[in-house]
Amino acid sequence: MLLKKLFRTLWQYKAQFISMIIMVALGVGVFLGFNVEWYSLEVNTKEIYDATGFADYRVYSDKGFSETELEAVKAIQGVEDATRFLSLNVSVKDDTDTLALTVSENMNVSGILLMAGEEYDETDTEGFWLSDSYAAANGIGLGDSMTLTYQTISVSGTVKGLVKSSEYLICLPDSNQMMPDYSSYGFVYISPAMLDQAIPSLYRKLMGSLYHQINVKSDLDKAAFVEQADKALGSTRLILSKAETVSWAEAQGEVNEGKTMASILPVLFLAIAILTMVTTMHRITASEKTQIGTFKALGFKDRRILVHYSAYALIIGLIGTALGIGVGYWLGWYIMNPYGAMATYIDMPSWSLHAPRFTWYVLAGINVFLTLIGFLSVRRMLAGTAADALRPYTPKRMRHLRFEETKRFKALGFGTKWNLRDCVRHKARSLMTLFGIVGCMVLLVGGMGMKDTMDSFLDVFYGQAINYATRVNHDSENASLEEGKALAERLKGDWAASRAIQIGDKGYALEIYSVTHDKVRFVDTDMRIVPLTDEGAYVCARIARDFGLTPGDTLTFSPYDSDEHYTVPVAGVLDSMTEGIFMTEAYAARIGVSYTVSCVFTDETDIPEDAHILNRQSKQSIMDSFDTFMDLMNKMVLLLVLAAVVLGIVVLYNLGVMSYTERYREMATLKVVGFKDSKIGRLLISQNLWLTVIGILIGLPAGVGVLQYLLTALASEYELKLTLGAPTYLVSVLLTFGVSLIVGLMVARKNRRIDMVAALKTEE
Amino acid sequence: MAIVELKDVSRVYRNGEHEQRALDHVNLSLEEGKFIVVLGPSGAGKSTLLNLLGGLDSPTEGTVTVNGRDISTLTPNELAEYRAASVGFVFQSYNLIPTLTVIENVALVKEIAPNPLSSHDMLKAVGLADHIHQFPSELSGGEQQRVSIARALAKNPHILLCDEPTGALDSQTGVMVLGLLLSMARDMGKTIIIVTHNQNIAKMADTVIRVKNGRIEYCRNQEHPLSVEEVDW
Ligand SMILES: Nc1ncnc2c1ncn2[C@@H]1O[C@H](COP(=O)(O)OP(=O)(O)OP(=O)(O)O)[C@@H](O)[C@H]1O
Ligand SMILES: [Mg+2]
Repeated sequence: MLLKKLFRTLWQYKAQFISMIIMVALGVGVFLGFNVEWYSLEVNTKEIYDATGFADYRVYSDKGFSETELEAVKAIQGVEDATRFLSLNVSVKDDTDTLALTVSENMNVSGILLMAGEEYDETDTEGFWLSDSYAAANGIGLGDSMTLTYQTISVSGTVKGLVKSSEYLICLPDSNQMMPDYSSYGFVYISPAMLDQAIPSLYRKLMGSLYHQINVKSDLDKAAFVEQADKALGSTRLILSKAETVSWAEAQGEVNEGKTMASILPVLFLAIAILTMVTTMHRITASEKTQIGTFKALGFKDRRILVHYSAYALIIGLIGTALGIGVGYWLGWYIMNPYGAMATYIDMPSWSLHAPRFTWYVLAGINVFLTLIGFLSVRRMLAGTAADALRPYTPKRMRHLRFEETKRFKALGFGTKWNLRDCVRHKARSLMTLFGIVGCMVLLVGGMGMKDTMDSFLDVFYGQAINYATRVNHDSENASLEEGKALAERLKGDWAASRAIQIGDKGYALEIYSVTHDKVRFVDTDMRIVPLTDEGAYVCARIARDFGLTPGDTLTFSPYDSDEHYTVPVAGVLDSMTEGIFMTEAYAARIGVSYTVSCVFTDETDIPEDAHILNRQSKQSIMDSFDTFMDLMNKMVLLLVLAAVVLGIVVLYNLGVMSYTERYREMATLKVVGFKDSKIGRLLISQNLWLTVIGILIGLPAGVGVLQYLLTALASEYELKLTLGAPTYLVSVLLTFGVSLIVGLMVARKNRRIDMVAALKTEE
Repeated sequence: MAIVELKDVSRVYRNGEHEQRALDHVNLSLEEGKFIVVLGPSGAGKSTLLNLLGGLDSPTEGTVTVNGRDISTLTPNELAEYRAASVGFVFQSYNLIPTLTVIENVALVKEIAPNPLSSHDMLKAVGLADHIHQFPSELSGGEQQRVSIARALAKNPHILLCDEPTGALDSQTGVMVLGLLLSMARDMGKTIIIVTHNQNIAKMADTVIRVKNGRIEYCRNQEHPLSVEEVDW
């Protein structure tokens, strides 16, 4: 019998049960989804890091490393393995594409994972092991022949294998680009034997060793390793740990983003789910109080009644969790799948989905907690003797409130008084409604604001600050400063020089600009375009933050491979993609830093052949690479907006129905007295609308706050500045209003079906 | 002139195959300004009759004419207007709005009734002038019922319908409330129809109607109704 009642009751309160299930499913889904996302990324990236021997440290030298130097590094206590490594951007013959030509002497470190074709052979002299993503984007297959050129040297061979490599997990030609674009840039491995054959012996004698890097696998921490390596090599070298490489830092950045998302959004959803559960369970058990009392009076033991009612909560929890797991994996897949934008960003072989173990404990905990809510709600109704339990639940007595004494309150219409007192009397319900609306606003403002911020960021950094059509990369090692300047002159362009420097023990870039044609512009921390003056060095916002620098302070840096130190005043703080310091050529010349031209920015389309031109990169190709990025962004925004609408509708509908049943008798009375349905409907809706207005007023700043937090937590590397467009305000306010109004109308429509006779027949 | 006219009225409840005739071809004509008592056993159809008169329900067959207007075919909105303007209702349960004070509960009819009376006067008349700022839950049952009478009369209706108004009160309070109803209706010249199980009340009526099995058993006019004081409670 009790079981029969269980299902009848479920049916009777179906709106409440369904909305609770949806809320639990959403909460669980969002929680699991974001956790699956970051954890899967961590598991899958670890897989390729391990499979391809991702190096922990990279030691750099302009002159190249000899075999003895390699042996010296290998001999360091705590170094597992090491390899001499070369990565050089070369051109694909008869094409504008660029490939990172890569050689690793010892493929156990910084090696490859074969996806198709022949195993790598270190004695092979005509085989390319080409990035499979690049091959796919350019229609290249196994057995195709290719020729690569670097200045006057060219290498030919056939594609023997299609591979992936953790060194190129995020395959970017330089820090200006945010998204890989495999149609124009990729990587290719060749054997050391092939490299030997390709480089004429004369040339090699002149240049010394070609291997500019030693890549190392080691568990030592950075300070210890740097100390040991400097000792072993006999001089200070630029050493970057894996945390300073794009392929590690950006991928871990994604993981951390996922973790942050997983710690914010789900909290919002789960909190709302649990609060909905608390209010609804309380409401259901309260309205069932006489039934509970009847059971008790009939002689049912408290324990059975408790179990019976707790079962409702458990059923809701279990169904919601089951659905939520589905939603969670779907969400994880949606963000993290081999066909989506993430796959364009991170070039991983495996996209399997994994949930971290703790999520299962949390899910179990949520179910226990939900059941407990049910349990506690009934226990309150069971308290006392059977006679006490039989008495219907009486809500708190009405008391006069302070504000009722005011003249203004006395002048209000009865409907307003009715609604106001009702809100105050059912505080939990009103608060929950507010919470739902605030949540809806936060999601809308957060989601759309994220896009606004990104759009304005792209517009300023790429639309305005990049004012050139083509960036020509210039061989700064082999060409003189005069040759570089001559090229810039010929191309009617501006130019920049770049040097690796140290501030303290950290590595940064020093960029020196000569801007006479307005081809590059600089952006300050307020996202305004500002000119560089000759009064000192400009630092990026991250350096300013890390070293506590403000304009007027001084800063000391030292170029790598040199013992000179320069102390310069800070002229300003810039928002920049490159982590480094910036200065004009005039100022650089004044303090005596040496430099050669590393790139020229120009609008000329007719770029002459020049031995010192390494490659060129068009603004268009950079802009194109954002398309996938913006696509991901748009999907996220769409998801958030959808989530906001679902959340708003579910929470408000549930509470609306609750308020409706609670006031059913009052409305029946009004109807008997002669109030029209439309008037009663308006009364109901107006309460909803007030709460909506208050919710929006709270939700707007809350949304901005959450967004600001997310921006600092997630995207500090971009130095984003929060920007909100008028449409975002408008759409979030209107959408929230719309949701509230629609739900209000849906509930208000019900009052037509109030059966006056039946409602008033029963005793109060 | 007849203020209420029922012609061949039936109210049928259908429950699947089962058919319950709560009212079965009822014909009735009631005069204005009278005190009318409806008697009958439980389930006879008394409440159904009152609900039809009050525009809470519509007949399955036949016509209900009140004040010369056929109310059996009105739309829900027209019925609401009818209830607002023409009838006052008092139930066994008091049906007050718990979140409104006593005076507010009465004053709310001002928003709908075309010519309402002063809420304050009404409350004074039912003897609650000292309680107007209290909430219903702070009053006794009899006091609450008086508030609902004040609310029904504040609309200044033609007819006052009372469905067992004293059913939830002890007999002493019940008599007091009844006396109040009666005197107010008489003073204001209202038509008043009371459903009750109490035979004594019938002694005071101008007209006594007895309902049985959905039919009118009899409808009798009394030449000399007793006053409240004359009835032996
Ligand atoms: N909603 C309904 N559905 C089905 N039958 C109903 C419904 N309402 C009333 N009835 C039936 O109609 C008949 C008349 O009911 P009504 O409420 O008018 O009786 P009553 O004379 O007021 O009785 P009581 O003195 O007990 O209040 C009863 O037999 C009842 O079972
Ligand atoms: Mg009845």
